[in-house]
Amino acid sequence: MARMLALVALAAVAGVFAAALASGVSGPGDGVVVVTGSGSSFVAPQIYAWSGQLREETGWVIVEYESVGSGAGLSNFLSGVRDFAASDPPLPKGKWEELRGRVLQVPVVLGAVVVIYNIPGFEGILNLTGEVLARIYLGEIEYWDDPAIARLNPAADLPHERIVAVYRSDSSGTTQVFTMYLSKSAPDAWPAELVGKTIDWPVASAGRGVGAKGNEGVSRVVASTPYSIGYVELSYALDSGLPVAALDNGAGELVLPTPESVAAAARAAGLPGSPLDDFSGVLEAMVYSGVPGAYPLASFSFLILWADYQDPAKARALAAFLEYIAGPGREPGNLAPGYFPVPEEARRLAVEAARIIAGGSGAG
Amino acid sequence: MTRVPPEDRLFYYTLLPSAYIIIGALALLVAVVAWESAPALGEYGPGLYARNAWSPSEEGPGDYGLAAAVYGTAVTSLLAVAVALPLSVALAIAVEELAPRALRAAAEYLVDLAAGLPTVVFGLWGLEVLAPLLRDHVMRPLWEGLGLLPPFSCEPLSAASLFTAGALLAVMVTPYMFALVREAYRMVPRDLREAAASVAAAWYQYVLLMLSMVRPAVAAAALLGLGRAAGETVAVSLVVGNAFNIGACLFQPGYTVSALIANQFGNAYFYPLMPNVLFAGGLVLLAAGLALNWAGLRLLDRVRLYAR
Repeated sequence: MARMLALVALAAVAGVFAAALASGVSGPGDGVVVVTGSGSSFVAPQIYAWSGQLREETGWVIVEYESVGSGAGLSNFLSGVRDFAASDPPLPKGKWEELRGRVLQVPVVLGAVVVIYNIPGFEGILNLTGEVLARIYLGEIEYWDDPAIARLNPAADLPHERIVAVYRSDSSGTTQVFTMYLSKSAPDAWPAELVGKTIDWPVASAGRGVGAKGNEGVSRVVASTPYSIGYVELSYALDSGLPVAALDNGAGELVLPTPESVAAAARAAGLPGSPLDDFSGVLEAMVYSGVPGAYPLASFSFLILWADYQDPAKARALAAFLEYIAGPGREPGNLAPGYFPVPEEARRLAVEAARIIAGGSGAG
Repeated sequence: MTRVPPEDRLFYYTLLPSAYIIIGALALLVAVVAWESAPALGEYGPGLYARNAWSPSEEGPGDYGLAAAVYGTAVTSLLAVAVALPLSVALAIAVEELAPRALRAAAEYLVDLAAGLPTVVFGLWGLEVLAPLLRDHVMRPLWEGLGLLPPFSCEPLSAASLFTAGALLAVMVTPYMFALVREAYRMVPRDLREAAASVAAAWYQYVLLMLSMVRPAVAAAALLGLGRAAGETVAVSLVVGNAFNIGACLFQPGYTVSALIANQFGNAYFYPLMPNVLFAGGLVLLAAGLALNWAGLRLLDRVRLYAR
């Protein structure tokens, strides 16, 4: 009996090997190069998807990624623990100047932050402006039937119930995009000090604010709390099935996040011409750009890499990764739900970064 | 230390490294946490734990204070132990004295299982089931009926609050505290129980006698439970509400030190002083945990001594 089992096991192993050989996948140690990265949890599903596709396509590049948050990812990258970082915000200007010429930034995906809400008895699409949102998160607008909200939604019959404002308790690029929108569209109501990845939310001290961890936490709390409002990345809103608000975009329009409106926002970004350039102004330019048809809360996520790698094998693997992102990785079938393809300028940046890394000709 | 007999010497020395590795790891842990906390404590002094502020800044030093988190940790863990203590003692008596043998085995099995469940399971259950239930059937009635009392004085708008976190922690530490009380209960010498029976003590008096025998274990369970509750992270951060509030009302969202660390550590390195402030929060948790465990284990030793 035991011998039978051993034979079966052996046959199974042999079968796996044969399959591996037939599909041309080489085993570990056979020219395979592993590159590791860490950072943003928002882009993690997309990087996992690309990593799997790339492994199948090339057979020798293995991209390992750990979702630890943009800040921790950057810290891992700078200390040399990881080969690359993925970050929702680009490098701050000060950091970029310090690393000038040695570091590359490539916008790889385009995402949208959306406002979700849970109002029992109201099924429609809520219209909101940055100023109304700011006053909700300041704690000044207390009820759903406030005149400021009613004016934007004349057809809706909103209830006289208190608004529970849900925010991200962990520090995140999502919060930075959202607070930047509040501040840019209503600078009088929402001061610039309250823009950042993590802030002291005024509505919390009024007892009507709840912090939840991660996009998933926010969508869960909004779903389970009647009369609440929150903000998440689009893919989480799609998962939760909660309605998404139309937002004022600074061009006198109320816009929903669609591939067209997000692409229009990306065109407003004014991306720099080289991955060696400073990207710190890109987010500011995209959020509430005032460009007609543009969704006001779109943002890029970036890969951050060195221009020069000591290990030529790693350099080749990372260049292949970037070329894949610039090529087949942009096709709709290869993008994870909730992400939008980056525009042509961003694609050219990825190609240029691949060239710099492969050539080992970084200025530094 | 006792002298090691020569024939055991080799065995004894092979054990030494693992013992020292554990002690060394703990010492290193304390040292690293203290080292990393130093810049934050240098900036604010001990007042870091008494000021309530959280205004991170990527360029400047920002403004930080841990008062709300320390307050929330104390409130939620005290609340948890206040609820869990009578529960676990009553459960221990019921299981040991009243339940039929089969039921007793089943109860013990279930409680052991609950003590070993991953905490994120408790957290998700707390968020999806317990929190809405508490808001609609406990917090709201308390606010409507006893709203004049400060702990119940604010309207429970969201289900996430200090109260919810305390209740969830109570559920989580009850199995652990029950196991401690039950173990001590079993150690009470048989002659004492028989003596009580021989003077025809009433049930009530018998239980009182037994409780007086395990009193140090009950106190130890409270202390160790408090230590556990204070350190719990994942489950609490899901239901506590994560807002920097300090106030008597239990129905408002709050924060705990461990939830703050779990929330903020991922991006803390974007901000100059924030990692150090979070380490300083870890330091106070570590100190409280060591003190509570030390005191609790000493109390348990007393039970074991007289049970011998």
